[in-house]
Amino acid sequence: MDVQTLLNGLVLGGLYACIAVGFSLVWGVLNIINMLHGSFIILGAYLAFFAHAAFGAHPFLSLPFIAAALFGLGYVIQRGVINRVVSSPVLITLVLTFGLDMILYNAMVLGFSATPRRLALDMGRIDILGATLPLDRIAAMALAVALTAMLFQVLRGSRIGRAIVAVRMDRDAAALMGVRVPQIYAITFGIGACMAGAAGSLMSVVFPFSPAMTGLFLGKAFIVCVIGGLGSVPGALVGGLALGLIESMAGALIGPQEAVLAGFVVMLALLIFKPTGLLGKAGYE
Amino acid sequence: MSAFIGGKNLGLTIVLGVVAVLIALPFIGDNYLVRLATFLCLFSALALGWNFIGGYAGYPSFATAAFYGLGAYVGALLQNAGTPMPLAWLGAGLGCAIFAAALGPTLLRLKGHYFAVGSIAIVEIMRLLASIFADFTGGGMGLNVPILRGGPDFAGMVFLYAMLAVAAAAFLTTLAVDRGRLGFGLRCIQQNEDAANMLGVDVNAYKTAAFVLSAIFCGLAGAIYASWVAYIDPTDVFSILLTLKVPVMVLLGGAGGAYGPLVGVVAFMAMEELIWSNFLELHHGVLGVIIVILVFFLPGGLLKLRWPQILGRFRAGGDAKSEAKAAAE
Amino acid sequence: MQLRLRKHWSRLACAAAVVGAMGAGAPQALADVIKIGAPLALTGGLADEGKKQKIAYDMWLERVNAAGGIKVGDTMMPVELVVYDYQTDGKRAGQLTEKLITSDKVNFITAPFGSGHTKIAAGVAERYGVPIMASVASSESVYDQGFQNLFGTLAPNTGLTDNMLKLFKAKMPDTKTVAVLGREDVFPNAMAKALVEGAPNFGYSVVYDQRYSVGTLDHSATLSAIKAANADWIYVTGYTQDLILLRKQMADLGLTAKIVTMITGPAYKEFVDALGPLADGVNSASWWHHATTYQSSDVFGSTKAFYDAFVAREGSDPDYVHASSAAALVALQAAIENAGSIDPDKVRAALRDVSITTFYGPIDFGANGMNGGRDLPIIQVQDGTVVVLFPEAIKQAELKAF
Repeated sequence: MDVQTLLNGLVLGGLYACIAVGFSLVWGVLNIINMLHGSFIILGAYLAFFAHAAFGAHPFLSLPFIAAALFGLGYVIQRGVINRVVSSPVLITLVLTFGLDMILYNAMVLGFSATPRRLALDMGRIDILGATLPLDRIAAMALAVALTAMLFQVLRGSRIGRAIVAVRMDRDAAALMGVRVPQIYAITFGIGACMAGAAGSLMSVVFPFSPAMTGLFLGKAFIVCVIGGLGSVPGALVGGLALGLIESMAGALIGPQEAVLAGFVVMLALLIFKPTGLLGKAGYE
Repeated sequence: MSAFIGGKNLGLTIVLGVVAVLIALPFIGDNYLVRLATFLCLFSALALGWNFIGGYAGYPSFATAAFYGLGAYVGALLQNAGTPMPLAWLGAGLGCAIFAAALGPTLLRLKGHYFAVGSIAIVEIMRLLASIFADFTGGGMGLNVPILRGGPDFAGMVFLYAMLAVAAAAFLTTLAVDRGRLGFGLRCIQQNEDAANMLGVDVNAYKTAAFVLSAIFCGLAGAIYASWVAYIDPTDVFSILLTLKVPVMVLLGGAGGAYGPLVGVVAFMAMEELIWSNFLELHHGVLGVIIVILVFFLPGGLLKLRWPQILGRFRAGGDAKSEAKAAAE
Repeated sequence: MQLRLRKHWSRLACAAAVVGAMGAGAPQALADVIKIGAPLALTGGLADEGKKQKIAYDMWLERVNAAGGIKVGDTMMPVELVVYDYQTDGKRAGQLTEKLITSDKVNFITAPFGSGHTKIAAGVAERYGVPIMASVASSESVYDQGFQNLFGTLAPNTGLTDNMLKLFKAKMPDTKTVAVLGREDVFPNAMAKALVEGAPNFGYSVVYDQRYSVGTLDHSATLSAIKAANADWIYVTGYTQDLILLRKQMADLGLTAKIVTMITGPAYKEFVDALGPLADGVNSASWWHHATTYQSSDVFGSTKAFYDAFVAREGSDPDYVHASSAAALVALQAAIENAGSIDPDKVRAALRDVSITTFYGPIDFGANGMNGGRDLPIIQVQDGTVVVLFPEAIKQAELKAF
């Protein structure tokens, strides 16, 4: 295979992983399909855009602040709203987050208008092994992978991380062990939003964006999650890279429309033949 | 849960009354009202269709738009090939049934979230296929369908009656399923699929039957829609918004019965019209707020509210009197 | 809890009552006012475009009503514009067109933005025999359905691409190959097809020809394939957001060519604003540019007068959407005046005969209802500003290599 195609796919895949990791965590731990996720990403991108316009802050520098702000927003939404129906059937929580998404979407259209925006920070490109790659994308991808790795460490190493993993494995047992489950839910949802905000500020240098794009990011998060396996951080990374490679290869070999189709087909095939995804383990459903 | 006001007969009477009004509408209302009524029947058909798989069997299906869009395309293509309109519609219903029967056994092995995601993926895959096979479907350029001759009043009447017929058929089928073996089996599956299986319910056959029923009515509605608007394109008919809206409507009314979906459709459309005309730039957000409120205060849908009590309070002015009455008896 | 529920109940009842009343309380059309219905996308994906149409309509309306209205026979009739937001939802566009015609009793309709939604609205208007003015639909597939009531102010797509092919071959005879990438959507697809079909007639061979689907997030694979095709000319179609992304990714991959065309990117201010220096060198065709110098007897008077009025009002340059939308109503006004009536049959016949020069350019509807072809401007971004390369009469600069 062509080096350019391979590298395109890997870089894109790193970005996809970052888009999906928060979504996957929330899905795995809370058993909630968070329809707000795409809007969180776009909100993060807008915050990065305005931080740059107002203070000249590079999105990579404003990222921690944006991520923190989104954590707060996510925590409050989960604590105040979603926690009340968190154990309802899939459809109920999905409809709830869909309703919340409509509110956030409307607020963004009013606040930021529907005009597509772009952060003009073109950082140039480099040639690797005969392939050409943009530096901003490589940097965003490297940061995305670093953030994902950091999240993995937090989940493994910290007390809160262990509590989150415990709740994911068995909510009731965790509660018996003294884990305050609602609190852990809110923190997890906050982390999900925080990762979306971070992803958004990274995406703002790579893609032009507008409120109409929320569904696009959400769609990618879905596919990555299913390919990689629900709720697992390494799964999101593997799923993201796999989707990036699939799209890149199908795009080069067949055509742009078939590339998008290929992502969905692989996802559907995995759902049917290996529903736990490439890295997922059974029993976490 | 037949706490619905005075029981099933009252519900049936109301439905029959509404049907009578809808039949008379082309003669008494203007064409915009006829169009709204056609949309009401369209969404009733979709909601009742979804209810078989989503309500009775409890499978969170988001495949509604896949069937709807497939029906629209099959109907449109048949019509363009010279098939008379009503036959094209039936062909679309049949095509969707075959599609669902072929897809069902595989897709319905998935449960919960996995099924939800799988069914939503079907919609996206269908949209992309319709877009890619441009020579056949017109691709992104869309597909023209011959406009029905005879003027707007005639066309309005034809499409209203056609949609009404599909909605009525879906309603009657629901009543039959509700009282029959299939409804019982599907409820068992919803409660506990493994237990149902052990008790000898052929779960795969039952689920697939529900999926096929769902597909037929959504497909018929889609085909009539295509003839009605005379132009379809992939993003319009394979619409994610539509696929999300239909379950919201059913949940609003109450899933898993014959009346809940209808109540939900009427309530949702009334709210949508009200919000749309009063909140120009905020309608999306206001609709979102209402959805959130509904999830909190009406988790079982409007029909699960204890209407007799509420109405009793309106009439008697409080529980005290009725309690006193109960005590006296 | 009970209280809350009661509130719900009353709210729903209220909603039902309002919906019921909507049909019954339809206002009667006043005989001495001309009503024009405008279903516009004021929210949703096409909100920016819908708002542009509204600005143009309002500018026309203010001038017409300031002059006392439109002259119909011996009387002056003021004009009322009835605007609804169809939320960029095709179903609602059709629904609102019907509401405008049947409940609001409008005399004429303007079409929404884009070829797809225009088709839906025109289908409804056709059923009622109400003339509908389309200002932003240029795909011939919209006009080839035999609709009698549809009139469009944009010229056919093929006019755009043939002028372009001719000009580029003349200015850069050594360019021989072209790569075409288009969005799988009504207008962008039509523009891509028109170029692919026209290219061989002017000595260009098409070395890449693909469509991308609506909602494509990333184009790196596609652009890498185009890079491998090594074309002299890259021709891309899509909506503004697609084109911004495509141009950015071309820079990312170091993809370049002697000529880069993005239809209709530079015709929109948003494209140039968002891309900054990356927009430089990109060319496009457009249906109108404010550098044109038409003199007219309409409410605006001349291209320059329209331009000045627009800049004074909005603080930015108008684009072809603004001009074409205002021109659609100018043409309707002329037809009403010529007919001396607001009877739809007479106005429809008068629209067929309209042959005028407006601030926007000549308007003369052909047999299919489309405005006749003329020399449409080809524009290029040079040093951050949009300049006209063609036609000769209003040329501001020569084609620069990308």
